[in-house]
Amino acid sequence: MARVDLQHISKSYPGVKALDDVDLVVESGEFFTLLGPSGCGKTTLLRTVAGFHAHDSGQILVDGARIDHVPAHRRNIGMVYQDYAIFPHMTVADNVAFGLVMRGRPRSEIAERVARVLDLVQLGGHAKRMPHELSGGQQQRVALARAMVINPQILLMDEPLSNLDAKLRVELREEIRDLQRSLGITTIYVTHDQEEALVISDRICVMHQGRVHQVGNPSAIYTRPGTVFVASFIGAMNLVPDVPMGAGGEIGLGGGGQRIAALAGRARVTLAIRPEDVALRAGGDGAIVLNGAVDKATYAGREALYRIACDGGVKVLANVYRPDLAGMEGVGARVSVALPISRLHFFDPADGGRIEAGP
Amino acid sequence: MTARLRLDFWTGVLLFAFAVVAALLAWPLSTILAASFVDNRTGAATLGNYARVLFQPFFQTALVNSMIVGFGGMLGAMALGVPLAVLTTRYVIRGRDFLATLAVLALVSPPFIGAYAWIMMLGRNGFVRLALEDFGVPVPPIYGLFGILLVFSLKFYPFVFLLTASSLRTINPAIEEAAEGLGAGAWRRFWKVTLPLVFPAVSAGALLTFVLSIADFGTPAIVGGRLRVLATTAYNLFTSEMTGNPGLASATSMVLIVMSMIVVALQRWAVGRRNVAGTLVRKPVPKRLGFAASVAAHLVCYGVVLASCLPSLVVIYTSFRKTSGPVFQPGFGLDSYERILREIPHVIGNSAVYSLTSVALIVVAGTLIGYILARRESPLAGALDGALLVPYIVPGVVLGLAFVVTFNVKPLELTGTATIIVLMLFIRRLPYAVRSSAAILKQIRGSIEEAAVSLGAAPGRAFLKITLPLMVPGVVAGALMSFITAINELSSSLILYVGRTMTMPVRIYLSVLDGEFGTAAALSTILLVASGLAVYAVFWVSGRNENAFV
Repeated sequence: MARVDLQHISKSYPGVKALDDVDLVVESGEFFTLLGPSGCGKTTLLRTVAGFHAHDSGQILVDGARIDHVPAHRRNIGMVYQDYAIFPHMTVADNVAFGLVMRGRPRSEIAERVARVLDLVQLGGHAKRMPHELSGGQQQRVALARAMVINPQILLMDEPLSNLDAKLRVELREEIRDLQRSLGITTIYVTHDQEEALVISDRICVMHQGRVHQVGNPSAIYTRPGTVFVASFIGAMNLVPDVPMGAGGEIGLGGGGQRIAALAGRARVTLAIRPEDVALRAGGDGAIVLNGAVDKATYAGREALYRIACDGGVKVLANVYRPDLAGMEGVGARVSVALPISRLHFFDPADGGRIEAGP
Repeated sequence: MTARLRLDFWTGVLLFAFAVVAALLAWPLSTILAASFVDNRTGAATLGNYARVLFQPFFQTALVNSMIVGFGGMLGAMALGVPLAVLTTRYVIRGRDFLATLAVLALVSPPFIGAYAWIMMLGRNGFVRLALEDFGVPVPPIYGLFGILLVFSLKFYPFVFLLTASSLRTINPAIEEAAEGLGAGAWRRFWKVTLPLVFPAVSAGALLTFVLSIADFGTPAIVGGRLRVLATTAYNLFTSEMTGNPGLASATSMVLIVMSMIVVALQRWAVGRRNVAGTLVRKPVPKRLGFAASVAAHLVCYGVVLASCLPSLVVIYTSFRKTSGPVFQPGFGLDSYERILREIPHVIGNSAVYSLTSVALIVVAGTLIGYILARRESPLAGALDGALLVPYIVPGVVLGLAFVVTFNVKPLELTGTATIIVLMLFIRRLPYAVRSSAAILKQIRGSIEEAAVSLGAAPGRAFLKITLPLMVPGVVAGALMSFITAINELSSSLILYVGRTMTMPVRIYLSVLDGEFGTAAALSTILLVASGLAVYAVFWVSGRNENAFV
């Protein structure tokens, strides 16, 4: 268990800023996820912590002590890879024992700890198997056991579930979460799957183009996205760029008249709202109302997904719950959509930053 | 982690590799490059040597002959290799693995064995030729261009065959089916779709054949008659006591190198613009042919492969004939073997010691350098990769000359020693081992070694405990290949040897020139057996992969 302090880490490759002044704290025992599209720098950051990449500037501290100059093999960090990285010429037990052998632990202790951790990942009966006899999910469990058995200060996982099929992915992610909680290992987890990140993490750091866009718990990330990028990357989001504003903060969309004091003095804002917050109804207080025609209608069981082409050119996605009760609208039907003010997000068109609109 | 150049183990290996390249390639080659600009009599700087090589009729003939031999050997090998590859991969041919094994055996047998076996069959006193003449069929002796091209085609076609066949096997049949669905008939499909897809493999095989053909010394020397090529001309210019001319020999060598470089560059340019890596969803299934077509296909396949094995069979047969001195007697016996064991046992010992020593060095250096090329991407590693291409295109005769010129002054006076022969074998074959170890490393994911490091193994230890055991099959296959080529090396050894350091190929060459066919056959048979055993071992470690040989 350890607290990880990443201070102003930067790393450039020719022509690319892989990490741009990354400043983060991972609390002791926390499940911390680096989330972003491929190429955002999340894996580079993880490998920097592991000691496989040298950064250009900044410091890494574990429990207050700098580890930048400690070579990777002395950092006592467990690592789990997307491609498992199981040693193919060793049995399951030898794979798991490897780190303990490297640490020169006595044989009896190794045998006992290996057996215990294999039970923990439900591979108790597989100690003598060779890796090629195991399924992908089992191999990843071996990798997990191998990383955990050394009692690492930090556990790093680089997209450990990406190579598994969907059902196994869900199953194993629950297991990883439960294990991490019961052992209390500080864990940094890399993924590009936003749903996985929301489900598994204590806190999430959303990265894009080498920069940290937002750090927060899953609900904060989802309900109060810090930048336009976070808003568009996490979940589905309607984005209306460059909405003109009146001098007193009147939103120039729909009939107008909806006024937000916090936006007074801004010429334009980017407006965003999640499809599940859009309602298919004509009126209602505290909402921007747009009229339009159904452009596309998809029935998805629990909800209906509509795309509405609004008069004036804006297209709005709306999710309506229980279409079996509400009834489906057909393509071409004239409808009104209501965008409740309390559900709107506003962003600065210049820097993409969030503008807090109210309490 | 701000220090960029850490002086760790692998940096040491990189420095060592550059030292090797500098000492055994850059220095000797720059020495003959310099020598090529020196006038033999006055010692003044001159372009005269190049002027003579390029414009004097005597050398022009050799230059043109080298080109004819290079392109002729290449076309001959393609004419045999491509149809064989198509037939064995696309249609049901019985004994396909047997054919491939025989092709590999033909490939690893020393080329000069082919040359002199054909002389025993079709030379002035060739038994096939004399027998045919008894029947009233006059056959001219094969000395000259025809003989050289015959030997090269039958010797080098396995390169084209094996490379093309493996490429054909990785073409997704859906691509050919799609072409058929779009209306391309069998013939157009082959020319428009299949052939372009295997072009990189065919051209790589053809390139190899060209480079080996113009570099080959033994074949034109034995079967060429009065036909001179650049390789034999350079050798004669250098070794002849009367007319020896190192400057001219060096200029001839440089021309030979430049010819190889041009062809390598052309092939790279032609292949570079086509990236035909496909995804293999399902493997092509060989089709059944009708009876007549099938018989014809089998005749072609077995005809080519058996013809290429004929020289080896003739050699083995000859080695067991009864002899009295150099003269064959009726009947069979072990006379030839007794004779070599009695007269020249040290030659066999030399060959074994030199090739095993150089292979041991090659394995260690090749594995470590291969690791750098595969895992440490840096401009220096790239430069090293480029430098290690050089031995592919420098003919043995040329590098042999360069070694003699360079290492004959103190403190590095190595001429006449075993060391110089071992160093030569080492640098000539090192690139092959580097390639094979880099290739297998690329199949071992880097994350495996990283995982070991993060579990507490220092980088050197992680390599030893994790990566090295996984590399073993590739390294062993590479070592056996190096052994086969090292023990069969003729051209450079012929320049570097003295009586004490004579090797089997050199002795075979000299015996053939002296007409001592029994001794030559017995020594050749020993080489063939050693090479055959090594082939068997490669199959054993690499799981029957013929492409370990090309």
